[in-house]
Amino acid sequence: MTQHLLEVEGLKTEFKRGGGSVTAVAGVDFHIRKGEVLGLVGESGCGKSVTSLSIMRLLKDTPGKITGGSVRFEGTDLTKLSEKDMRRARGNDLAMIFQEPMTSLNPVLRIGLQLTEPIMLHLGYGRKKAREHAIHMLKLVGIPRAEEVIDEYPHQLSGGMRQRVMIAMAMSCNPKLLIADEPTTALDVTIQAQILDLMKRLKEEQEMGMLLITHDLGVVAEMCDRVVVMYAGRVVEEAPVQELFSNPKHPYTKGLIQSVPKLRQKVRRLESIKGNVPDLSQMPPGCKFAARCPFAMEKCVASEPELIPLAGASERKSRCWLTQDEAVEGGDRA
Amino acid sequence: MKEKETPLVEVKNLKKSFEVKKGFLGRSQPLNAVDGISFAIRKGETFSLVGESGCGKSTTGRLVTRLLAPNEGEVWFDGRNISRLSDNQMRPVRKNMQMVFQDPYASLNPRMKVKDLVAEPVLIHTRLSAKERDKLACELLETVGLNSRHAERFPHEFSGGQRQRIGIARALSVRPSLIVADEPVSALDVSIQSQVLNLLQDLQENYGLTYLFISHDLSVVEHISDRIGVMYLGTLVETAGKETLYERPLHPYTQALLSSVPVPDPTVKRERIILKGDLPSPVNPPTGCRFHTRCPSCMEICKRRAPIFREVEPGREVACHLYDEEMMKLERK
Repeated sequence: MTQHLLEVEGLKTEFKRGGGSVTAVAGVDFHIRKGEVLGLVGESGCGKSVTSLSIMRLLKDTPGKITGGSVRFEGTDLTKLSEKDMRRARGNDLAMIFQEPMTSLNPVLRIGLQLTEPIMLHLGYGRKKAREHAIHMLKLVGIPRAEEVIDEYPHQLSGGMRQRVMIAMAMSCNPKLLIADEPTTALDVTIQAQILDLMKRLKEEQEMGMLLITHDLGVVAEMCDRVVVMYAGRVVEEAPVQELFSNPKHPYTKGLIQSVPKLRQKVRRLESIKGNVPDLSQMPPGCKFAARCPFAMEKCVASEPELIPLAGASERKSRCWLTQDEAVEGGDRA
Repeated sequence: MKEKETPLVEVKNLKKSFEVKKGFLGRSQPLNAVDGISFAIRKGETFSLVGESGCGKSTTGRLVTRLLAPNEGEVWFDGRNISRLSDNQMRPVRKNMQMVFQDPYASLNPRMKVKDLVAEPVLIHTRLSAKERDKLACELLETVGLNSRHAERFPHEFSGGQRQRIGIARALSVRPSLIVADEPVSALDVSIQSQVLNLLQDLQENYGLTYLFISHDLSVVEHISDRIGVMYLGTLVETAGKETLYERPLHPYTQALLSSVPVPDPTVKRERIILKGDLPSPVNPPTGCRFHTRCPSCMEICKRRAPIFREVEPGREVACHLYDEEMMKLERK
């Protein structure tokens, strides 16, 4: 069996709420290869951020808990690691960038201290060497006057610069997998273009795998090799990026792609998906998208389809009754 | 210039500055949020202001509705200069201009019922009875795609998209001629965003509304606008009709902005203009052309002299020295 860099299988994360619990991530499967960018797409509340926090095991201070499945990184199940081993894995092998750089940087510590600490910890460098490495990283992410910036505080930098510092920090220990949760959402488009460009370049230089979480299909088209679409805590579709946009299989993916206004598209009316995302605590029994789906049948309301690999295409999966007859096995209706 | 009908909104050399303190005990300095902009909005059209954070587009929206008073310049609304009106004089004018805000969570009072939220402008501007107001609120809720059943509920019971519909119903309640919508869909998910954009277009058609639409999202702006103004650091750098602007942007900033938008189509490989550097601080803007520090085609003159915002083609204005020269060349011929 070929081993992937990251293999997530049946991941399930629940949050305690009131007396009961809600399932934010309900059995998610995907994998990432070395040097590959996997996009994780979906709207607010679909569980994409919780998935990333579960992989990094950063749910400790939340009411959330991984209740099932496995996250194998180079064969090791991260969910089974001790807190100490997990801490070693974070930074060395896994790194994460968050949406809002100001909340992830400590406002009262100089940039230098925040950058050198993980370098000294994970790479075992001395103070002086760590500082040199930190300056090198700042230069690598395109920060001008890196030698001065390293002694400044986060508030002295602009949003784009802070995000660069975050990227420098995440990349400083040469992680094998970078998880980027909406890394450019808080930034202006011209700055976003700079940051995406930078991430692409660094990824290629370091042969790093990347899980890119975003709601922006433009960013997906630009950055990703493959895409996983999530809805209501489930993966509803998986496809290589070209195929996802040229031939989306799941009605939700179709709706999502058609809802986005595109430059130079010149349509008078946008397609839209009617209704709202279902409440996590009141999930319908069947397909979670059925209530909003233009193709919903009786079957869809009654029972939930499985995420099934599709025939004739590499690495395509869809969770929809309509695509079941395209499935690899059990094509009895064909 | 040909005499046409008077525009609904006309903004002439508008300026607004705020005092900001630098540092803990520092002296206050003026921040020129809007620094001399002029544009006009015709009746029934959608005029959009686009630009990145801090370019002054929201301040402009607030100046047009006179939620802020300008330091200099004039705002004309329906043939009347409203820039120096008192609050009392302004009140009847406001009946004709309403705002829709970005954050549907912050812009609705959580303690008010939806029907009272929707009908609040009516309470202020008209003499309708409570019963009539409730009836109107129910009608408005239906108009924006909600249900009259929702009238007795509170804002927290609604999703972001539904709340934005409530905000729109509220703005509609006094039958304004102008709606200033400040990033009305930025906080919404894409599937909900398209619902609200469609609603805004339907309402414009049915009620003959004029929109001043403020957004940072160039794809949304292209979809909804008739004409567009691009702002950078408190100034307008280019205004043009939608088609011309997206087909053939003239200002280097507009060009860079358009090329920066990620296109949701992996088969498209574009030549991208990546701007160097960050947005300069508006407290201390660059000399000359404000864009010169990041401009890929910066010339000597740009560092010294600010370009004049002028009409380079019918219906199209640009503030850039590149087109001065072209004009000069044309004159020399």
